Amino acid sequence: MIFSSELIKGTLKTIVLKQLSEGNKMYGYEITQKVKELTGDRIQISEGALYPTLHALEKEGLLTTETIYIGKRVRKYYRLSDSGKKKSKERVSEFAEFVETMKILLDLQVKPA
Amino acid sequence: MYQISDEQVDYIIDDLRKNGIETDDLLNNLLDHICIIIEQDLADGKDFQQYYHTVVTRFYTRDIKELEEETTNLLTFKNYYAMKKTMIVAGAISVITLAFGSLFKVMHWPGANVLLLSGIVFFSLLFLPILFLLKVKEVKTTRDKAVIALSSVVGILFCIATLFTFMHWPGANVMRLLSIGISALILLPLYFFTGIRNPETRLNTIMTSVILAGVTSLLFAMVNLRPSTVYEDIRVNSYQLNETVLSEMKQQMLTSELPAETKAQIEKINTLCEKIKSIEKDDYPKDYVLREGSPSKAFFGDGAGIKLIAELRAAATAYNQTHAKAPLPIANSILDAPAHKLGHMYSNVALLNNITQIQLYLASTCCKTGMVYK
Repeated sequence: MIFSSELIKGTLKTIVLKQLSEGNKMYGYEITQKVKELTGDRIQISEGALYPTLHALEKEGLLTTETIYIGKRVRKYYRLSDSGKKKSKERVSEFAEFVETMKILLDLQVKPA
Repeated sequence: MYQISDEQVDYIIDDLRKNGIETDDLLNNLLDHICIIIEQDLADGKDFQQYYHTVVTRFYTRDIKELEEETTNLLTFKNYYAMKKTMIVAGAISVITLAFGSLFKVMHWPGANVLLLSGIVFFSLLFLPILFLLKVKEVKTTRDKAVIALSSVVGILFCIATLFTFMHWPGANVMRLLSIGISALILLPLYFFTGIRNPETRLNTIMTSVILAGVTSLLFAMVNLRPSTVYEDIRVNSYQLNETVLSEMKQQMLTSELPAETKAQIEKINTLCEKIKSIEKDDYPKDYVLREGSPSKAFFGDGAGIKLIAELRAAATAYNQTHAKAPLPIANSILDAPAHKLGHMYSNVALLNNITQIQLYLASTCCKTGMVYK
């Protein structure tokens, strides 16, 4: 099952921040691949949503960037800034609480891991 | 693994630029992403261009330009989505309340003013300003920004003028004229000459300008048709003059010499008249200048006024039966009007004046008692 883009939209920033907090610097394609891998293809970030989000996070000062030239192409690597690291933790714990609340709200049975 | 050549990189850059990707940063990111996909997935010897166009469609739902717009929006407004949502909700609320408000107003149902008021507030103070903020970031030149700013000002001013009109607040006409004036003399020429220069927008500009000019002229024509405050003042003043004359005449009425039955009839009619007038007058605060408008809600709301009018009609008819020589003129007066149509036929001032005229007529017959009653 692939989750709808509606569901992913609100959590995209959290997903991106979390990926960067684990690895080191990453570029856009790498992020989409890693998310796809980790979720067994169930969450596929659309490029159309990823890049605007990356630019917005950069503007907010949560990401720092590094560009590397590959022939005529430019590859832009993203890395968490100090405030980005803090934000990443905040967003992840906020979302964890959200999930807990949704479990209660939607009366979900939690499957044992 | 497929190897992308420099020419192919240029081809992709050209194509993205042509389709509306303007930010270099975004362009580089997209270019790299697309190149990686093509290099990984395209088999040697397959058609590069065809595969590129299949890949690029995965990035968007409408066209690639939406990525540029989305990026700009996210960069410009931190809470772009919240604004957009607020605008849509405010727009929906204003449309619904305005539609129902005008229906309620025409039907004289309670709650019309509250609906219209909230409709206008949502529309002119929430919807239009947010629309302005969002739209003004989308255009680049100062002229385009000026066009959007002016349209918003004209829109807001016109809405507030309408609000003032139906609330009977002063200054409505000045505001309406101002908004029409700005629209016709500044906005329309500015919009027309900005848009006509660009071949892409020429046809649209001409069409929109014609519609704008037409609507503006029609609105202007209506401003002049609208009963001006001067005429309104004249009618209000003439009513107040009638009241003064009536109080003068009442002092000269020689009721003491009248037969008891006639005296009772006259007193009954006068009492009913005063009751009807007091319902209508009580609707206005003491320091409020009486303005012309529809009869009050108190008059029609629980039917108190309608009931009193019917009683007055009965009393007048009874009086006419016993005083055939000098009957009260009922035909073509408010006593002759069908109850359900009263509100549409008579304004509050016309209603008050009609009642006062009945009293004046009675008073005049009493002043000439020598001729009529003796």
